[in-house]
Amino acid sequence: MTSTQRRVGASLIAVVTASASWTIVGAQEWKAKAPTAADWAALAKLPDFTGVWEAATVGRGGGAATAPARGAGAPAAPRAGGAGRAGGPPRGPQLTPAYAEKKRALEARRAEDSETANCLPPGMPGIMGQPYPYEFLLTPGKVTIVGEAYMQVRHIYTDGRPMPTDPDPTFHGTSIGRWEGDALVVETAAFSDTTMMDRNTPHSDKMRIVERFRLTGPDLMTIETTVTDPEALAAPWTTTRTLARHRDWTTREYICEENNRNYVDAQGKAGIDLKDSPGEKKEQR
Amino acid sequence: MSSRITRVLAMTVTIAVAVGTGRIASAHHSFAAFDMTAEKTITGVVKKVDWTNPHIWIWVDVTEAAGSTETYGFEGMTPNFLSRRGWTRNSMQPGMKVSVTFRPMKDGKPGGMFVSGTLPDGKVLTMRGGETGQ
Repeated sequence: MTSTQRRVGASLIAVVTASASWTIVGAQEWKAKAPTAADWAALAKLPDFTGVWEAATVGRGGGAATAPARGAGAPAAPRAGGAGRAGGPPRGPQLTPAYAEKKRALEARRAEDSETANCLPPGMPGIMGQPYPYEFLLTPGKVTIVGEAYMQVRHIYTDGRPMPTDPDPTFHGTSIGRWEGDALVVETAAFSDTTMMDRNTPHSDKMRIVERFRLTGPDLMTIETTVTDPEALAAPWTTTRTLARHRDWTTREYICEENNRNYVDAQGKAGIDLKDSPGEKKEQR
Repeated sequence: MSSRITRVLAMTVTIAVAVGTGRIASAHHSFAAFDMTAEKTITGVVKKVDWTNPHIWIWVDVTEAAGSTETYGFEGMTPNFLSRRGWTRNSMQPGMKVSVTFRPMKDGKPGGMFVSGTLPDGKVLTMRGGETGQ
């Protein structure tokens, strides 16, 4: 081996070592302990979040007999249960000028739909605002929320671990929870920049979400959600949602790609694809 | 069919957009592909029912004025939602003569968003949903 080769080799080793240690620090810095019988027994003392829940406003009817007419691409329905509903803070996030401009630019595209039409899940916080059920699972040191829509899972660690120092950005972020009396308080950080905070509203990499889950009746749960983002938000954005428990329900499969005929294209145009349908004429292929 | 299920099926309802909270939560898709200001009704024979996610699709053969047959496709809600509100995968079956009221597709393709359907025995199926969405 020449001296040059030795120098290059040493440099490579240094780079590999450095990146390996960075990865270890960033991703997997906590080793969970094996649960004991006492840990399992302790779960019984926590508020009973088990079961299948759905927004209390879903499926109660009381609206018009048919869907009201709406303009193209306006999935903005009456916002029930929001903090701003009864004269409280304004609805929707209060953006900084820079992010208000980003929102205006996105709205100018006049997209008729979002990527969820193509089966891409919305990520946080949208995944918690779906008109579909959620199932809560409590195990030692962890709360797991199974969202039926798009079959999504949130992993909330309650075993005392700190927020990782530099978690990878993901759709649901990284969630650390703790029990404060009868409330589960969850802080979530590190969100994929492909997700939106709200319709046409991006977030920065500094967005944080704090959720407070609390039983407010035998089969009622209130979730207060506060979003902060020093770059995007001029003020914290708080919303409240009430879920109702359905002991006679199970969570069902939801494979969005099973038979999705809806789409939105790159120009934001929404449509329906009837290909391979029983009514498709051969010449249309 | 039990009277309870019949009652549930007969409830009127809304397919609405979903926004349960002050945050995003549009459900799977918007109504942009449908003409939400129009409502049409056709009568035909059920050809096939796709009891699938993210939406059920009901295919109905309709005899046009000229005598030819056109297959219409109707998008309903998710079977998850419907199965909790009285529907089953057999609520509409191939061979049934039905009338379907729907929001037509904007691009003129045969079909649209299912609003309600009347079965041979007079029962009416709707997409029950209050403030919920597709």
